[in-house]
Amino acid sequence: MEREIELRLVARLKAGDAAAFEAIYEAYRPRLFSFLVRLSRRRDVAEDLLEETWLRLVARAGELRDDTCVAAWLFTVARHLFLSWCRHRALDDWRLSDLTPSWPAPAAGETPFEAAARGQTERRLEIALAQLSTHDRELLLLVSVEGFTPGEAAAALDLAPEALRKRLQRARERLAEAMEVTSRTRQAKAG
Amino acid sequence: MKTREPLDAYDAELDGLRVHDAPPARVEQIRARCLATLAAKRRRLSQPPVSRPAWLGWLEPAVALGLSACYLAAAIGTALQLAHVMRIAQVLPR
Repeated sequence: MEREIELRLVARLKAGDAAAFEAIYEAYRPRLFSFLVRLSRRRDVAEDLLEETWLRLVARAGELRDDTCVAAWLFTVARHLFLSWCRHRALDDWRLSDLTPSWPAPAAGETPFEAAARGQTERRLEIALAQLSTHDRELLLLVSVEGFTPGEAAAALDLAPEALRKRLQRARERLAEAMEVTSRTRQAKAG
Repeated sequence: MKTREPLDAYDAELDGLRVHDAPPARVEQIRARCLATLAAKRRRLSQPPVSRPAWLGWLEPAVALGLSACYLAAAIGTALQLAHVMRIAQVLPR
């Protein structure tokens, strides 16, 4: 979404314009849901957090700054809601991994043929991402999947830019390791 | 809003991951709730502020103060009566 259009939509949303909300909702909803489902690894949780994030946006629309970056605002709130959800259930990474993840899984409505035809690399990448810690996953999702600049990601994650760069490097290394493990597992199963 | 970080081996694949969406029924449910919240906010904003008569501004604290004074006077009166009765009880021969 172009910045000028975004700023106009923010101004209209602050005034309670339903059409502005619709435009923002359509533009960011799928990306936000994808982020949440990959972060939480559960579809049901992602749906609940998605709803809460949008309700926060409309409830606080009047308080938005004129130069608000909607994507950064939405993803920051969604991330905080996810962390609150984890805290509320006293879930750390260990316990979180004990929950049965419903992600990655074939997309709803996808036939077995379509699922099989989907790129093997994508499938391996989804599995490798799901195996990373929450910290690594959120960082890669924001920077590499959502295309946040390091500055935007640092703001969203409450990190200093230098710390973000180091963490990003480590997260990429761990993703590469997880991809290797996934490849070896697949080869072992095939062999 | 694209990353300015140097691409690593998997960044291109990560960038190309498919975008998913919530089930249509849930999408509509969220939309309806948000629009209802926005409409309620608009209604609240468009309503003229309720004007209160000026005398209500001083009447309310005056009534509260008066009632408090009555309550305090009654409490002090009861305490004094009780003290008087106890003094008489001490003076009277057993």
